[in-house]
Amino acid sequence: MKITQNWLREYVDFPWSTEELVERLTMLGLEVEGVQKLGGEFAGIVVAQVVTREKHPNADKLSVCRVNDGQGERQIVCGAQNFQAGDKVPLILPGASLPLKAGDTAPFTIKVGKIRSVESHGMLCSHEELGIDPEAIGHARADGLLLLKADARVGQSFAEYLGRAGSDVVLDLEVTPNRPDLNSLIGIAREVAALTGNPLKLPAAELPSAGPGSSVTEWVSVRLEAPDLCPRYSARLVRGVRIGPSPDWLRQALEKVGLRSINNVVDVSNYVMLETGQPLHTFDYRLLHRAADGAPATVVVRRATGGETFTTLDGRVHSLGADQLLIADEQKGIAIAGIMGGQNTEIRPDTVDVLIESAYFLPTNIRRTSKALGLRTDASYRFERGADVGVGDYASRRCAALILATAGGELAGGVVDAYPEPLKAREITLRHDRCQILLGVGMADDVQAQFLTRLGIQEVTRPEMRGAWSIWRVPSWRVDLKREADLVEELARLHGVDRLPSTPPRCVLGTHPFDAIFDQLAVVRNRLTSLGLDEAQGQTLIGGAAARLVTADMVPLANPLSSDMDTLRPSLLPGLLDTLRHNLTRGNRDVQLFEIGRVFTQANGVAKEGWRVAVALTGARSPGFWTGEEREAKCDVFDIKGVVESLIELLGLRGVVYQRRPEATPLFLESATLALGGKLALGQLGQVQPRLAKQYDLRDPVLLAELDLDVLLQRRGAGASFKALPAFPGSRRDIAMLVPESTSHDAVQSVVRQIKPANLETVELFDVFRGKHVPEGQKSLAYAFIYRAADRTLKDEEVTAAHARLVEAFRTQLAAQIRE
Amino acid sequence: MSTLLDRIDAVKQAALAELRAARELPALDRAKGAFLGAEGQFTTLMKELGTLAKELRPLAGKAVNAAKQELEAQLAVRREELELSAALPKEPTDFTLPGRPRRLGKQHPLTQVTADIVKAFRKLGFAVADGPEIEDEYHCFDALNTPADHPARDSQDTFFLDVPSRPLLRTHTSSVQIRVMEKTPPPIRIIVPGRVFRRDNADATHNPTFHQIEGLYVDKGVTVGDLKGTVEAVFQDLLGNDVKLRFRPHYFSYTEPSLEIDFTNALVKKLGKDWLEIAGCGMVHPGVFEKVGYDPEVWSGWAFGFGIERIAMLRYGITDIRLFYENDTRFLRQF
Repeated sequence: MKITQNWLREYVDFPWSTEELVERLTMLGLEVEGVQKLGGEFAGIVVAQVVTREKHPNADKLSVCRVNDGQGERQIVCGAQNFQAGDKVPLILPGASLPLKAGDTAPFTIKVGKIRSVESHGMLCSHEELGIDPEAIGHARADGLLLLKADARVGQSFAEYLGRAGSDVVLDLEVTPNRPDLNSLIGIAREVAALTGNPLKLPAAELPSAGPGSSVTEWVSVRLEAPDLCPRYSARLVRGVRIGPSPDWLRQALEKVGLRSINNVVDVSNYVMLETGQPLHTFDYRLLHRAADGAPATVVVRRATGGETFTTLDGRVHSLGADQLLIADEQKGIAIAGIMGGQNTEIRPDTVDVLIESAYFLPTNIRRTSKALGLRTDASYRFERGADVGVGDYASRRCAALILATAGGELAGGVVDAYPEPLKAREITLRHDRCQILLGVGMADDVQAQFLTRLGIQEVTRPEMRGAWSIWRVPSWRVDLKREADLVEELARLHGVDRLPSTPPRCVLGTHPFDAIFDQLAVVRNRLTSLGLDEAQGQTLIGGAAARLVTADMVPLANPLSSDMDTLRPSLLPGLLDTLRHNLTRGNRDVQLFEIGRVFTQANGVAKEGWRVAVALTGARSPGFWTGEEREAKCDVFDIKGVVESLIELLGLRGVVYQRRPEATPLFLESATLALGGKLALGQLGQVQPRLAKQYDLRDPVLLAELDLDVLLQRRGAGASFKALPAFPGSRRDIAMLVPESTSHDAVQSVVRQIKPANLETVELFDVFRGKHVPEGQKSLAYAFIYRAADRTLKDEEVTAAHARLVEAFRTQLAAQIRE
Repeated sequence: MSTLLDRIDAVKQAALAELRAARELPALDRAKGAFLGAEGQFTTLMKELGTLAKELRPLAGKAVNAAKQELEAQLAVRREELELSAALPKEPTDFTLPGRPRRLGKQHPLTQVTADIVKAFRKLGFAVADGPEIEDEYHCFDALNTPADHPARDSQDTFFLDVPSRPLLRTHTSSVQIRVMEKTPPPIRIIVPGRVFRRDNADATHNPTFHQIEGLYVDKGVTVGDLKGTVEAVFQDLLGNDVKLRFRPHYFSYTEPSLEIDFTNALVKKLGKDWLEIAGCGMVHPGVFEKVGYDPEVWSGWAFGFGIERIAMLRYGITDIRLFYENDTRFLRQF
């Protein structure tokens, strides 16, 4: 909502500077989003008339003009082509400066000078040079000079011509949706009045008494067929108007707040809407259907019949549904109620009789219709937030009075006001101690009463009867006041929320099951960063094609913004692939990332969400260094497995089995699943398909892993406990054996588990070798076994005996050839 | 006799000279062998002792032993010297060369900011709570006093999911207020960091996904004063002691009164502004309490919420929200 400071002063006095006004309104809850000072512009620019225009003797594209500036004639050289002698144009005089435009560092000042050896005493201006939008001030957009209206007074200052002579300030206010009453000058003035205690000055809406025999009822009747959607509809008629341009005060008032002047009648209805907040509509009465018998035209407020079409005055054709409200005559629709009028009855240059509509429509219905039709107007904006059912008649009278004043004509006496069931004012009980209880500040009963009264809220109880509580009647414009807490808020606003005391935080210990999980996630995050991984945060919304790399059970959006964000991520991996691509294309070749986040899958039509942790590695294993072989090493699958193992170890999970997938997947060239106890799925890890990596512009091997964090955290082991350090020396036995390629490390371990040699403490694989002295199809595995007893030093024979059983089992069960 | 004694001293002097002359450990070992080894000169001298007259032997033996001991001592000293110089690299180390880097990951800036906010609240007794990102209209809107057709629903354009019950992605963390109050009797003291979703095209200040943090406190006798006091404590913790807050009336459907919080400090002044909007808050609307079965006559409470990206952008001077979600490692490693 835009207002100007001078306009606001017409309704209420306030002793504040602009800065103070901005501050006070903001602290009342009316945030000021913009402040624009008007006036003081266009100094040294006047309305001038071209007397003669001759070709420049030394330049084809220039002309030399004699121009009357109101004081006398002067010679001007001009490069524009769109004018002729007699035209009125803006002239900037020598010594004056053009308005600053974006990018200007210093003003451009006009001097007397010679252009191609002809003197020029000033410059004729285009709209660009003046920095104004010609259409916004009702002029044609032209290539060349800004051509002024024929009736412009020569010698008048250009600022005066534009109606910006006096200084003023335009304020752009953010009105919250609960306060439709503040979409009006009077509503804002009422707030200022309540704060200052100064009276609200309502503008006069007195109407001349109509002559006998010209009652409006002879001309119009109203039939409410849908009183549920339109509880009140009133009509007035002004006959014999002359449509024409608006007087300067009216045009300027609208232009200052960004509305375009159209004609006197339409401008008046807009002006009164800004003043009162009540949207009004004016119809050309002549275009309403009247029966041949001369009976009054009937305005019908009815639901559209299904499929009924209607052309709004912007030329769009709408097909209406049965729950959309139409203003009609007996034959046709004439307006979509509360939103926009029809082309068939709009005010035209030859309109003579003007029908003024002032009505109240059900907010939810206007809102639905406006949304469904994609039609938003100043009127629908106000109706859907809740208009003031009580102000309709005042606004209608004010409108009629201003039409008579600006467009002439005669008023048909009285009003047709269909308001079958007047809405009852709401009454609210206020307990006077609620201020103390909710705001933490005591407020005397009579101060509370004074604040509410100033806002136009009326006390129902008599002041002398006031006890611990009082009852208040809410005025029709305050649709937001519904219960006691709302009145307390009004008291807080007028008291000043900045003046409410702060009290030190009180101590209650909160509890929530997630509190511990939040910390567990932090522990996981700390481990991963200490392993050298950077944390990523990806988009929750990804493309369906990327999601399908991982699963088909994903959750699509019903109303996506674009195809690359039409699905909830079923996994963190597609997002990480995207992130890798983003990095690689920007030259970050070595990327090691993890993400902790929620993913979404679908099972039997129900969407599920869960926490995951994922890791992505590509490029160099170690950060760059200036020597050593390690600097050439790229990440491989055992790098990512090392990260995964570190996490598993951190969470104290035992019995995690890695099972290689026999086949490639759409995502992975080679991969393994992780399961707890061989059954409970934990996640997967592997190397991305080179074909896919290429699509993502990734050149080095890409390793991905993703684990189900919900399961990991649920199954995490107990915290650390102390085990005594060994007191006796251990005994080490190394073994190297040739086994077939198909024999896994796990197979070796399971033999160990099965044999369970006495006093075996640890088994460590320290070499896997293929090549010299190892036949094709075989590999050499080297293990170190440490034997140790807790209570004594083991004898060599004991260890040898135990170890021999193990070696024998390797021979027989794994067909291992022990290398000496 | 005198010749043998004289020779002892001469051999000792020769041995000492050779020890000093040895420039590396093998030369030293050779010198040791030449004088003290089985074939060494001292061994020869010892053998010659037998040829001396009986009464002269002890004196000569003592002299040989003393010389040997001195030699051994010098040998040890020289060995240590040579070992030390052998340990030094051939060329002196260039200590201006960069060291071998260890890889250390960084937490995402949003994580770091969230952790700091959570820490500030936990000092005041708040527990971290959580709720689903997939929500229903009841918890996201209706229970928060924002019925269908309410104009306030407009500003939060919503993503709906294409599954039978047509759930939505929560547009604010306030839905968790309802979830928690439904399950837990008062008092309540929680904060809720989390992802929220609005149907905005991505630009420098919008991303369809972003993060909010919500605070809720319900107890007996909670007032606006308590809200202000808590918010001030938290923001001083987060933004420094020079931060000033301003509360002004606003509108949210689920609080009454509703306030917006502006803050200012040296940074804001540097941006050429007086105040920057940072959070919304208010006293929990009695209608919300009624929805979750709390008696608004007994309990009062406050709630507030703000955007985590906004805090992070202010703290680090980041001007494009999309950077948070691109995860360029050159960006991530700055924090």
